[in-house]
Amino acid sequence: MDGPAVEIEYLRKRYGGFEALAGVSLTVPRGTVFGLLGPNGAGKSTMVKSLLTIIRPTECRGRMLGKPIGDRATLGKVGYLPEHARFPEHLTGRQVIGFSAGLAGVGVEETRRRTQALLARVGMKEWADRKLSTYSKGMRQRIGIAQALVNEPEIVFLDEPTDGVDPEGRIEIRKMIESLREEGRTVFVNSHLLGEVEQVADEVAILSKGRVIESGKVAMLTRLAKRFEIRTVGPVPPALRQVLERGGMRVAGDCISLDAEDAAPVQPVIDQLRSSGVAIRELREAKDSLEDIFLRAVQGKEAA
Amino acid sequence: MRAFVTVIVDSIRLLRARALFWVSLFISAFVALIYLSIGFDDRGMSLLFGAFHFDMPFMTKGSEGAELLYLGIFRNFIVAWWLTWIAVVIALVSCAPILPEFMTEGAAGVALSKPVSRPLLFAYKYIGALLFIGLQAILFAVIVFIAIRWRVGTWNPTVFWSVPVVLLVFSYLFSVLVLLGIRTRSVMASVMLTLILWLMCFIAQVGESVCHSAANHGIGITGGELSEEERASWKAAYPWARLPYVVLPKPGETTSLLDRWIVLGDGDNLGNSTFEAMNRNGRFDNLDEGVKDDLARHSPAWVIGSSLAFEAVILGLACLAFSRRDF
Ligand SMILES: Nc1ncnc2c1ncn2[C@@H]1O[C@H](COP(=O)(O)OP(=O)(O)OP(=O)(O)O)[C@@H](O)[C@H]1O
Ligand SMILES: [Mg+2]
Repeated sequence: MDGPAVEIEYLRKRYGGFEALAGVSLTVPRGTVFGLLGPNGAGKSTMVKSLLTIIRPTECRGRMLGKPIGDRATLGKVGYLPEHARFPEHLTGRQVIGFSAGLAGVGVEETRRRTQALLARVGMKEWADRKLSTYSKGMRQRIGIAQALVNEPEIVFLDEPTDGVDPEGRIEIRKMIESLREEGRTVFVNSHLLGEVEQVADEVAILSKGRVIESGKVAMLTRLAKRFEIRTVGPVPPALRQVLERGGMRVAGDCISLDAEDAAPVQPVIDQLRSSGVAIRELREAKDSLEDIFLRAVQGKEAA
Repeated sequence: MRAFVTVIVDSIRLLRARALFWVSLFISAFVALIYLSIGFDDRGMSLLFGAFHFDMPFMTKGSEGAELLYLGIFRNFIVAWWLTWIAVVIALVSCAPILPEFMTEGAAGVALSKPVSRPLLFAYKYIGALLFIGLQAILFAVIVFIAIRWRVGTWNPTVFWSVPVVLLVFSYLFSVLVLLGIRTRSVMASVMLTLILWLMCFIAQVGESVCHSAANHGIGITGGELSEEERASWKAAYPWARLPYVVLPKPGETTSLLDRWIVLGDGDNLGNSTFEAMNRNGRFDNLDEGVKDDLARHSPAWVIGSSLAFEAVILGLACLAFSRRDF
């Protein structure tokens, strides 16, 4: 079966009068790690829950794994780690995984085998038969991830998987996400931790106030945001500053920055500075991190 | 099937983790054992497996008095109090958390994102509670069945009627509890409101019954004769008094069916003349006479059928609320 793992044509969700998702569309290619970014309250969880029928979208057109979104049987091939997963405290880690497997229709014997393997994979073997009430936050999260994988899903939705996990655990989770991709699964990660997503995601979409404001391959987004910075000794004189700004550059005090793929457009600026007698202190090539792109996109949207 | 078993096991784990469950099981076993512990010998009767002994010449082993007493306790305590009220309250309270707990955010997400539809999940949860209460009721009936054989000497399979009857009464009320649980997500609130509804069912039944005897037999609330005009106004009011009774479930009348269906050794049922005689000295008040009168008016099929209709509507609403809810 080919085609994208998730293809949302149009998705809208209103909570009463509040529009949590205002007509979103996006595509998640198969076998990739997809990061959905956005500030708190942007609608990330709402989007994932809509795809998983946990909430009823107001309007939804699109397909998941080749079937219309909301198709029951398809959900057997999907794994889900809820945000702040609060599994019942009286269950043991093994029972939580078993519950998920049972509802997904995984056979008893198969469940036993997979649970054993998954517990080892998330490093919870010794704790498997203790109650969740004795777990730390990070341990619950690990069990939550194991539970999401027990039906060997084609696509896994992880809503803030590193929430409450220590730095070492975060690295482990990242490696796990990478290994899932190697196994050919699609991973959909919700996060507001951009550094992490940048390291692992192939594609991202940035969601703000219920709208996708930026999306694409991480490599492309960060390349688009390549720029050069020139620092002068003392502030740029006002007259020159006006000229530069008219030329589409940003000037702040002693720093001139311009977006450019290569160094060619920088040369005339150097000439202009030199001819005006301004001394150059530093010239460097700068690359925006996903965080810069994210902040710029979100702030730009808010200003607009 | 796999999903069904998974949901049931999950419900049982939830109940087992609650102190209340163990308390209720303990009380249930305790009552059955107390009953079992009443014995008779050549000199009279004993309590708690012989720990206390009372010399009573009319209550010796094998005497008619002993049998009457033992079955009388069954009718006047076990059926009239335990099965009608206490066991049902305990069952409601102990099963109350099943849906609200299931619906807490975070826990619900995993279950709802599975290839099991919401109505089905809902049905599994509901049936799970019924199964669980049914098992408890069977256990209780078995102990009583054995107790009667041991103490009175007869096998009486009709005591097993208590299982479906208790289950029916429980299910009427549990449907309401489930609907309220889904709407309020609060165990406490849903239990309280359900108990209030139960009271309303009782009031509706008494109201209908009183109004009926006033309108049709000319008997006033205090028992006196009514004038023609009074009777006419009761007659006019009767359809209104009947409406809530018809709509609401009939837990009281459903349990009263046990009086007809549990048959004693000599072929008489629990509401028979022997017990009438025993109860004539003022222990049965008018209310119970009224219940008997109403039982004669309303067939078991009508009592159970109309109650189940109510239950079906409530369950439909609950299932709809559960299926449409955002988590
Ligand atoms: N059940 C609900 N009823 C009403 N409003 C809701 C409900 N659930 C979410 N919202 C609103 O929808 C918006 C999006 O919420 P959502 O949980 O999707 O955000 P998020 O992007 O996941 O944020 P976070 O990063 O904090 O998890 C929020 O403004 C929230 O207040
Ligand atoms: Mg969220």
